[in-house]
Amino acid sequence: MVEAIIKEPLWKIRLKLWARSFKTGWELFREKKLALFGLSVIIFFAIFGLVYPLYPSIMRAVFWKDDPFGYQTFAPYDPIIGFDPHIMNHPSPPSLRHPLGTDPLGRDILSMIMYSTPREFILGITAALITVVIGTIIGASCAYYGGVIDTFFMRLADIVMLFPSLALLMVLSAFIDLTLFRLALIIGMLSGFGSITLVLKAQALTIKVRPFIEAAKSTGASDAYIIFRHIIPNILPLSFLYMMLNVTGAIFTEATLSFLGLANIRMSWGVIIQMAESSGYLMGASIGTYWWLWLPAGACITLLCSAFYFLGRGLEEIVNPRLRKR
Amino acid sequence: MLLSVRDLRMHYKTKMGYVKAVDGINFDLDSGESLGIVGESGCGKTSISMTILRLLPDNAEFKSGSVFFDMGNGPVDLVKLDESQMREYRWRGISMIFQAAMNSLNPVYRVGDQIIEAIQNHFPQVPVDKAREKVAELFELVGLDPSRMDQYPHQYSGGMKQRAVIAMALACDPRVIIADEPTTALDVIVQDRILKEIRKIQKKLNMAMIYISHDIAVIAEVSDKIAVMYAGKFAELADSVTIFKKPMHPYTYGLMHAFPSTVGEKTDLVTIPGEPPNLLNPPKGCRFAPRCPKADELCMNEEPRYIEVEKGHFVACHHPVKSGEVVQFYEQ
Amino acid sequence: MLRFLSKRVVQIVILLFIYVTIVFWLMEALPGSFLDKYLMNPKITPEIRENLKRQFGFDKPVLTRYLYYMKNFLVLDLGVSFSYFPKKVTSIIFERLPRTVFLFVTSTLVSYAFGYTLGKRSAWRRGKVIDQVTTFTGIVFWTIFLPLLAIFNIWLFGVILGILPLNQFIDPNLWRNVSFSAQDLFLKLLLNAFIFLIVFLTIMIISRRLKTINAKRILLYVSLIGTIIISISIWILSGRAIYAWDIIKHMVLPVFTLTLYSFAGSMLVMRDTMLDVIREDYITTAKAKGLPDKVVRDKHAARNALLPLMTNFVISLGFTISGGIITETMFSWPGLGRAYLEALSQQDTPLLIGLLVFTGVFVLIAHLVADILYAFLDPRIRY
Repeated sequence: MVEAIIKEPLWKIRLKLWARSFKTGWELFREKKLALFGLSVIIFFAIFGLVYPLYPSIMRAVFWKDDPFGYQTFAPYDPIIGFDPHIMNHPSPPSLRHPLGTDPLGRDILSMIMYSTPREFILGITAALITVVIGTIIGASCAYYGGVIDTFFMRLADIVMLFPSLALLMVLSAFIDLTLFRLALIIGMLSGFGSITLVLKAQALTIKVRPFIEAAKSTGASDAYIIFRHIIPNILPLSFLYMMLNVTGAIFTEATLSFLGLANIRMSWGVIIQMAESSGYLMGASIGTYWWLWLPAGACITLLCSAFYFLGRGLEEIVNPRLRKR
Repeated sequence: MLLSVRDLRMHYKTKMGYVKAVDGINFDLDSGESLGIVGESGCGKTSISMTILRLLPDNAEFKSGSVFFDMGNGPVDLVKLDESQMREYRWRGISMIFQAAMNSLNPVYRVGDQIIEAIQNHFPQVPVDKAREKVAELFELVGLDPSRMDQYPHQYSGGMKQRAVIAMALACDPRVIIADEPTTALDVIVQDRILKEIRKIQKKLNMAMIYISHDIAVIAEVSDKIAVMYAGKFAELADSVTIFKKPMHPYTYGLMHAFPSTVGEKTDLVTIPGEPPNLLNPPKGCRFAPRCPKADELCMNEEPRYIEVEKGHFVACHHPVKSGEVVQFYEQ
Repeated sequence: MLRFLSKRVVQIVILLFIYVTIVFWLMEALPGSFLDKYLMNPKITPEIRENLKRQFGFDKPVLTRYLYYMKNFLVLDLGVSFSYFPKKVTSIIFERLPRTVFLFVTSTLVSYAFGYTLGKRSAWRRGKVIDQVTTFTGIVFWTIFLPLLAIFNIWLFGVILGILPLNQFIDPNLWRNVSFSAQDLFLKLLLNAFIFLIVFLTIMIISRRLKTINAKRILLYVSLIGTIIISISIWILSGRAIYAWDIIKHMVLPVFTLTLYSFAGSMLVMRDTMLDVIREDYITTAKAKGLPDKVVRDKHAARNALLPLMTNFVISLGFTISGGIITETMFSWPGLGRAYLEALSQQDTPLLIGLLVFTGVFVLIAHLVADILYAFLDPRIRY
């Protein structure tokens, strides 16, 4: 029996352990209705974004059979340069041709929303990943080394947290061309060096005093080995949780910057609303009349943000035993 | 009778099924008497007290039974009371010294104020200065300096907190005090002093007490009657002399011989093999049967009834240990 | 306590110094400047150009200007704004500050009161319908896209129901022939609100000493209603009630929107901490003492959950300018956030720096206040 266990390769045992903890985690997760709701919304948006390429061809087959020329020239379902010549007045209200109507430039809103979806995911997840990688490594190192490193990064976090992030990003937008990736990078770094370090450091400190760290040290393991093999794996669940919550923040920030017209992003949900605002459709009494210009895009931002937040909170109840039900 | 518990059953609902933590408990308690409940951890000792006071967590399900309690106007079944009526009985009728006295005091309020709160809750007509006098009395009774009542819990040492919690339990002159592991967190010397103190106060005020502990030495010191609990049931209940001298349940026998005694004749120390059963799915027959050297077919299949074999001596066993009999426990 | 405070103050001063330095150099690094527009203008003679340069201090090297700025900063002089020349940055800030502060203080107070109550209730009834519903709505509002919420509210209350003005600070038509300024009136309103707050706090302190609950209630209601009636009659007698009402009407929608947006933050924090506290032994003790459920919940559980809520409150203050930018833009509210956006588009560097520095000072002071409050709220904390 004992020999059998030893003969099994280590990675297989690890895999089994992973599978087991994943299974118990899933059991707990399944009970959280709100988290399940969040996950399904995220999956919905992922599919929604992935099927985007099908949308123009379906519409073409249904509505543009008689006018292939118009379709070729005006590309009515292109999210950036599209225009529908068959409709007299743009923006036009939702119709069968354009399920969510068109914007003032005659572009199809549904197509714009679908086109933006994967970009929101990329932005949110990239930013959150950067945040978490920075936060985890710094948090673990600060907890492990203490002293000068700790002081330095903690004071840095203090200063970063002192900056109002949106205001800072607005200034940065003046001399950095904020493309999607740069924006993700900056958002990620801002929150990575900020508050998340404090939380993860606190968690890492509780790991640091555990006996297995002492044991690893006594076998002569290097500092880097201990940090990466012992401390970080133990704070990873928490990091993962913060990643989910940070996706929400990143998507929100991007949408706000785009809405204020400060990011150099050609198309995103925030840009759609900005378009409506800058062409004056959000002024006074016309708000309700042109609802399709702002409501679908705004709803998408809200839905995706809250979906990640729901998911994060669901995970929190699993990762953080003190929140579990008795 | 001050307190009589009849066929008390309370189960915890979990994902795997019901944990039968309290499964048919019977006992009587008169004023001035003290009952010790001893058992391994996880056998449902604390759950009994929580069921009596009806302080159960959400996942607990009360199954059956009754708790008759007499405040001087005839016995009342606490189980049948509604929440607001029950509140009247808490602390005034039955008060409690909790397992973790260290954390029983709210850190943000002064110790004295927390005791006054209890007094004024039950006797709203008592003015604050009268209540303060009462607290000062109580502090002296438990051996605390009354001037400390305006301090916060974190300014107290562990032993002092314990004493404050005892003072708080006495605040409304309760008929019964349930002391759930009152001294576990303390060192032995303080432990001893506090136990003596509690005992003295109990005799002085003629209250009834229920001690709950896993430590039979503590129980022996303070109880008139001792109940031995095993897996959610009482295995045996008798006065403290009888249970030491003439244990009838094999489990009690094992327990009594499991620790060395400095007085009396030398005996071999006994260890009971095996582990207590999982309360999710306890054995069909006698719950101790799998570990019992005397167990036979009958024990495995049929639950022994809890009967009074002599006056005041209850036991639940098909084959009680006769006096003078030596039971041999074997390692499995 | 004093030693801790002085240590903390030193820390804050160092932090502030670094912060101001970073802000200054960041702005210095901005490409182009306000002056460039004028300097490019061929109509301006070299003489005037030099004059302008000297006036704005651009003739000196950056380092000198930095040292100069720091020296001025020490005496709380943040320089002169470019776009509002020759207005001082501090005077612009103090002109706009009351509006922003009022907007945020009101909505923050309301949302914290709201979040505190809802959070403790939903934790107390964990897993029940009320908990599920409040958590769900809370998270949706917490993660809602703020401009969307603003647009929606404008649409619902301003257009469909037509009961509230859409945006702006005042209705210009109403104020056309008025001798006093809106700012004056607004400050008076603020003063009124402040008096109201003080009365409320005094009454709370007095009512603690009263014996019966009924007496407390009567005192509370009588004095509050009394203060309201007195202040309203003073406004009516002064003949400016209609203008004050106009300002209040314009305030409702932004305050409501911000409250809706931010109440969930405090609610969720409160709920999570409460869940933690509820498991403590002293809660069981309190129940065993026979205390009514409400007393256990409010006096024992919620009181212990206050501390994390405080932290959250202080952190949320830092959000003031960020949140202000969006809300004030949406409602055309002339506050600090709008000033920031305008300064950015005009490249009014001194105003930008001034606003950022001011926010920093504001947040740091809030941190200090929080530290002091901690010691009051938790007897275990003694510095």
